[in-house]
Amino acid sequence: MPGGALAGLRVLELTAAMAGPWIGRFLAWCGAEVIRIESREHPDVVRQYVPPRAPERGVQPELSPWFAEWNAGKRFVALDLRRPEAVALALRLASISDVVIENFSAGAVERLGLGYEDLRRARPDLVFLSTSGLGDTGPCRSHVTWGPNVEALSGLAALSGFPGRPGAFTQYAHPDGIGALHGLVAVLAALDHRARTGKGQAIDLSQYEATAATLGVELLELAVGGEEPPRPGNRSRAAAPQGVYRCAGEDRWCAVTVADDEAWRALCGVIGRTEWEADPCLATREGRLAHADALDAGIEAWTAARPAEEAMARLQAAGVAAGVVQTAADLARDPQLAARGFYEEVEHLRAGCAVVTGVPLGLTGTPGQSGRAGGRVGEDNEYVLVGLLGLGRDELRRLEALGAVQPPDPR
Amino acid sequence: MADPRVRTAPGVPGALAGRRVLEVGDEKGMYAGKLLADLGADVIRVERPGGDAARGLPPLLRGAPAPGASVPFFYLNAGKRGVTLDLEHPRARELFLRLAGGADVVIESLPAGGLDALGLGFGALRATRPELVLVSLSGFGRSGPRRGFATSDLVAAALGGLLQVTGEAEDPPVMLAGMQACAAGSLVAAAGALVALLHARRSGRGQHVDVSLQESAAALGHICGAPKWLDDGIVPRRAGSGLFASVPSGAYACRDGLAYLMVNRPAHWTALARWVAGATGVQEILDPMFEGPSSARLPYRELVDLWVAELAARFDVAGFCREGQERHLAVTPLQGAAAVARDPQLAARGFFVDVAQPGGGSLRLAGAPYRLSATPWRVQRPAPAPGEHNAELLGGELGLGADELGALARAEVV
Repeated sequence: MPGGALAGLRVLELTAAMAGPWIGRFLAWCGAEVIRIESREHPDVVRQYVPPRAPERGVQPELSPWFAEWNAGKRFVALDLRRPEAVALALRLASISDVVIENFSAGAVERLGLGYEDLRRARPDLVFLSTSGLGDTGPCRSHVTWGPNVEALSGLAALSGFPGRPGAFTQYAHPDGIGALHGLVAVLAALDHRARTGKGQAIDLSQYEATAATLGVELLELAVGGEEPPRPGNRSRAAAPQGVYRCAGEDRWCAVTVADDEAWRALCGVIGRTEWEADPCLATREGRLAHADALDAGIEAWTAARPAEEAMARLQAAGVAAGVVQTAADLARDPQLAARGFYEEVEHLRAGCAVVTGVPLGLTGTPGQSGRAGGRVGEDNEYVLVGLLGLGRDELRRLEALGAVQPPDPR
Repeated sequence: MADPRVRTAPGVPGALAGRRVLEVGDEKGMYAGKLLADLGADVIRVERPGGDAARGLPPLLRGAPAPGASVPFFYLNAGKRGVTLDLEHPRARELFLRLAGGADVVIESLPAGGLDALGLGFGALRATRPELVLVSLSGFGRSGPRRGFATSDLVAAALGGLLQVTGEAEDPPVMLAGMQACAAGSLVAAAGALVALLHARRSGRGQHVDVSLQESAAALGHICGAPKWLDDGIVPRRAGSGLFASVPSGAYACRDGLAYLMVNRPAHWTALARWVAGATGVQEILDPMFEGPSSARLPYRELVDLWVAELAARFDVAGFCREGQERHLAVTPLQGAAAVARDPQLAARGFFVDVAQPGGGSLRLAGAPYRLSATPWRVQRPAPAPGEHNAELLGGELGLGADELGALARAEVV
């Protein structure tokens, strides 16, 4: 079937930043037609991009690499939703869409007349996803959060990190991605339900709850034991030794997991610790856990003398799970990711071309593809409003004159 | 239809009611099956006779010596049914293929190529049912020079670029709790399965979905990934709680704990600057040079941090969060597991669910990551005991007699 696994599916987005748009990005990669509504008055925060290499150029709304990451392959229509004519157009777009994704601030789509109850009148079998920090109900539903706030709120930060050190935060807003992936699963399941029954529905996704669901083991440990689970650092109670070890060079590290006794013997061989292999105290996971500090020091004495890549290669050759702690630059030249074509080069309407992170769905029968990036606000007004909704060009000009439709800036 | 051992609203079938999933492999892919089970699919976990090694994953449930007393196993397999098959044995492989013939999806996380070696690869599975979707979850995918590399949650997070940007600048890179690389891979596996099912519904053809933990992690962390580096030449590194691109952002000390504050929009900065000026008397913060998107304040991160710290120190956590949210600022408490367990927002939404545990009593499990209005999320049953559903699946469905099942059990085939 040409055009991808989800060819023929149409998705409408009332979204900003990452948590909403990243869902549509996956669907677009699978061949769905994804249309994003934007406006000049409420520009997506990611369009407020000042290139670090050329700050004198000021805000460049099409040039953010993150904007490309989250929106490659989508169509952009610009509507001033404060105007009733624009809301009417949005309703008509919903009526020809299978899925609507929204992550505006709490209550915003309802105030615009574009909530689920409004849209389902236009499209009864619609699958509607509302994704927010804390969900659409409950006493804190209107709280403002960004991804890192949810790291703090959900327990993710406090449960992670080294004992006696601050809870660990990421630089990549982990709950944004975790929430989006849960949203993707929910939308797809609702589409399967619709294919079977003909019925649509509304999905209320809380990033807080999605993140907490991935901490279900820690939350159950608390429920069982009554105590806050200890911060593990890089250790595991299921595998020992396990850690991240300093290697030669500035801020270079190798992660190692000794999953079982066989891997333990292999590790001892690679790093030349025959006395460890012979020590009955270290023959079991429990014994190695009890001596974790000494083992970590011994392993690091070996890794520190060589590049992380060499440590990984020698351990992996012996069957020990090991991996370089890769930087963004390492990822760009990772031979495994390159061999699998993970990063994709796409057409960029401003920059000519751009590299975007691949979509890891692994659909070998219907491989997806990332589409063009760098669209302006209103880039596809003609395609969407004339081509899909059948507006006459005079009507489009009239709506532009009213300010309901916002033409794109000239290139 | 509702299992009496689970205290949740009974009745309404889930979104994936009627879909059947076979799951085989280690703990890395268990969250994928759980996602599909809680959405209504009939997920059958195939284990070796006596139960998989994952049943011993620490920590263990107190006072419950039975297999299945593992906390991770219990959480990640609640909602599934369980059969035991020794796939080294030809008769067990035949039964596996017959079960696959009645399934929509097989999810496997055996060591790379393990299913093929057993003669249960995609070709063999597809022969039982052309629409069948096979999802293979592995460390690095089934192609490429590192397809045979050993992996773990930590190693996948390292090679996927997550560890480098997690934790404190002066500490080694550190992993997140909750096996997050495996969670990401499992989410991708579940999504890949569902896309392939939607496609198979139209085309009549299933496919092999090849999910890599490394790629799933790299996708999740893409904000700090290769394309951004190619664009601006900046290698993101660990930086504590503050997000490198957002000023201010970070965990700030209140009188009784930490609260996280982040400003991303120009209007939010204006509200924060007024709050700081009003509460602390620092008027310099109102200077227009600090206004605008976060990028405008990047050179002044330390100064802005000092001002916000001075503000936060005047409040307790609850007061700081309340006053911040009243100003539409993203201020939230830093919570541990105990605070999450008693969070009024989660309580109001009924997040936690009670599920009976083996040996009596019930356990509170983390609940729905999403609410579907017509097809509620639901834990269908507690995690299965080893072979709990052998009789109803191998006997009732595949038609093995009690004598034959008994003989196979004695031979440790099931």
